[in-house]
Amino acid sequence: MGSQKRIAKELAELVETPPEGITVELADESNLYEWTVHMEGPDGSPYHVQRKIPGEALLPTGYPFKPPAVSFATKIYHPNVTTDEKGSMCLGMLRPDEWKPSSKISAVLQFARQLLAEPMPDDAVEGRIAEQYKNDRKRFEEIARDWTRQYATS
Amino acid sequence: MSTSTATASASLSDSPRPGRLRRFSQLRAYTQNLANSSPSPRSYRNSFSSRVPWLSPTSSSGPDPSPSHVGNSTAPCPESDQPALSRYTSAPSSSSHGLADANSQGSSTESSRSTPPTDRTQTTHVMARLRSASAVQSRPPRILDRNANPEASSPSPEPSAAQSDATDLAGTTSAEAQGTSLKPKQKATIRFFPYQDSLQSSRPSLPFAPIARTLPSESCVIRVGRYSERDGIPIPNPTEPSDAPVGFKSKVVSRKHCEFLYANGQWHVKDVGSSSGTFLNHMRLSQPNMVSRLYSIKDGDIVQLGIDFRGGEEMIFRCVRIRIECNRSWQQQPNEFNKNTESLIKNLGKGDAADYSGCRECSICLGSVLRPYQCLFMAACAHVWHYKCISRLIHSPDYPMFQCPNCRAFTDLSAEVDDTNDFEGDGEKDTKKPAVAESTQEDPPQTQESTNGLTANSAGETQDQQENHHSDEPSLVDDVENLHIDDEQQAGAASEDTRSSDSPAPNTSQDDLARSATNIPGWQPTQPLSVPSSHQSHLRTDTPVRSETSDENPLTPRNDSGPLAFDGRAGMP
Repeated sequence: MGSQKRIAKELAELVETPPEGITVELADESNLYEWTVHMEGPDGSPYHVQRKIPGEALLPTGYPFKPPAVSFATKIYHPNVTTDEKGSMCLGMLRPDEWKPSSKISAVLQFARQLLAEPMPDDAVEGRIAEQYKNDRKRFEEIARDWTRQYATS
Repeated sequence: MSTSTATASASLSDSPRPGRLRRFSQLRAYTQNLANSSPSPRSYRNSFSSRVPWLSPTSSSGPDPSPSHVGNSTAPCPESDQPALSRYTSAPSSSSHGLADANSQGSSTESSRSTPPTDRTQTTHVMARLRSASAVQSRPPRILDRNANPEASSPSPEPSAAQSDATDLAGTTSAEAQGTSLKPKQKATIRFFPYQDSLQSSRPSLPFAPIARTLPSESCVIRVGRYSERDGIPIPNPTEPSDAPVGFKSKVVSRKHCEFLYANGQWHVKDVGSSSGTFLNHMRLSQPNMVSRLYSIKDGDIVQLGIDFRGGEEMIFRCVRIRIECNRSWQQQPNEFNKNTESLIKNLGKGDAADYSGCRECSICLGSVLRPYQCLFMAACAHVWHYKCISRLIHSPDYPMFQCPNCRAFTDLSAEVDDTNDFEGDGEKDTKKPAVAESTQEDPPQTQESTNGLTANSAGETQDQQENHHSDEPSLVDDVENLHIDDEQQAGAASEDTRSSDSPAPNTSQDDLARSATNIPGWQPTQPLSVPSSHQSHLRTDTPVRSETSDENPLTPRNDSGPLAFDGRAGMP
């Protein structure tokens, strides 16, 4: 109950003054806990394409005491994003022991976008991609761009 | 300071370095010696206790002391240490001040961080005026202030500084003398909390009561190892500064496992040759039985001692995971944030909400905490929430420990209410700062008015009247109107105010708490973590009182012979 008030407040704030490159809306008007997020790939990153990358943020009922989950709806070639159909994002600040109730979704999304610009290969979920990111940056960017074009725009 | 101190520090500045280096190499030689002599551990212990005189000198009762080894390993230690020691301790007091001057920069950065630069100039100004006795104005205010009355705060134990010199290596970087000039509140404090790794679904680590240590002097070392009666009865949370060793009842912790020390304004950890390793954020510091270098640690780091043995099913085979809390002293003394919070609470219920940023929002519901007639909860770090919002985190399984969701600072909610006043000298300084902040803050006019009302008020009236005044709303309105005229006299009043706001009896009423910055509950500078004594004695009593002897070396097979051999007793012949 208390959490709904907070979520509504955060949502209103995000809709009113959206952070750069991020738009947020409710996936279903009657459900405050599922948000649809559209994220613009940061300039200069291989994820920067015409269209915004769709994703979602799921808020647990225990929010803000429990961390939200952020995922991409399309496949993203990125060391910190799983390549399965879930496309879930591994953010340090979302880990249960790292999460602080005082963090806001807005900060989470901005952090996620920052992660697109600067992957963190040392904290990766896709070890192979992280390896490639470290050793063969060019090839990594090529594939990442391909994937983004292929999946995000279709 | 005077010229004599300057020259003294100059002449001393050369000497510590070679001494330090020499001692370092000694220490290395000593540890290698230790590794070599492991087959006959008694010699090692003898050498150790001769080196570290405050360990209980019980080595003589070993059944067969092998003289040759004893002779070898002890030889280099005492002679070399003694001169160095005496050199430090016999230094004239003036030179120790000089040294402290040179070194205090490092340790003061932490505290001065809390005061933004803009504030600082004003502070200097006022302090210079108030403290005309101290003629030094070129230094940053903190340092100035500390040097201004070194005598007042120098009951520091010279002998303890000298003692710890024996094992210490990095502590010597900042000479022992530094401890003498540190104010109590600026002493290095570290706290250990049990940490459970929730992510890796690993077995729980060893539970232990939170441990707090405040170093009596910067050169002290906190030794961590397996719990042992030999180290004397452990004091989990001494009220006085202490470098008492920390013991854990786990067999994966070596007797001498690691050490925490404070050097150059930072806490460090080093493995002192543990067999199962010390891990800093999952990284092992050294090979088995090897001494590691110093690793700096910061607040929130996880230090793990040893690895679960035999699956860690039994408690005594569990590793120890410690969450470090350090470098938080800035939080426990007046800083911009908690001063703002103070005025926020002061103005609560007066209708005109002050525009203080940062502390008006409940971070749980994102609503304002400024509205009157709501139940609030303020932690020792001065973060405030609605009680309703935060109650879930208060009444958690960890209860009486409360972790601030904003800054992660831990508070022991079961701690005794601290109704002592600040130290004499500190109190003067502390209350001065809020006064400065109040009179110089650029706030919307109406808040300026109300704060002025308070300050001028306390300057003009006696303590008695003040209390009436606070409990009596209509008269307050009158006063505020009257005192608005006094704006021009603010500067003068500010200095007066420091005296009067220093005096309120700490345990009278809520109003008093809000009025004086020094009395905000739970943040006395050196407030210890008090853990129910039953808990401590419980920890203590289940190891049988041990007679003596057995060896120190963690590698000796005997130590592992029985499941309850905390102290080597079970394995003894």
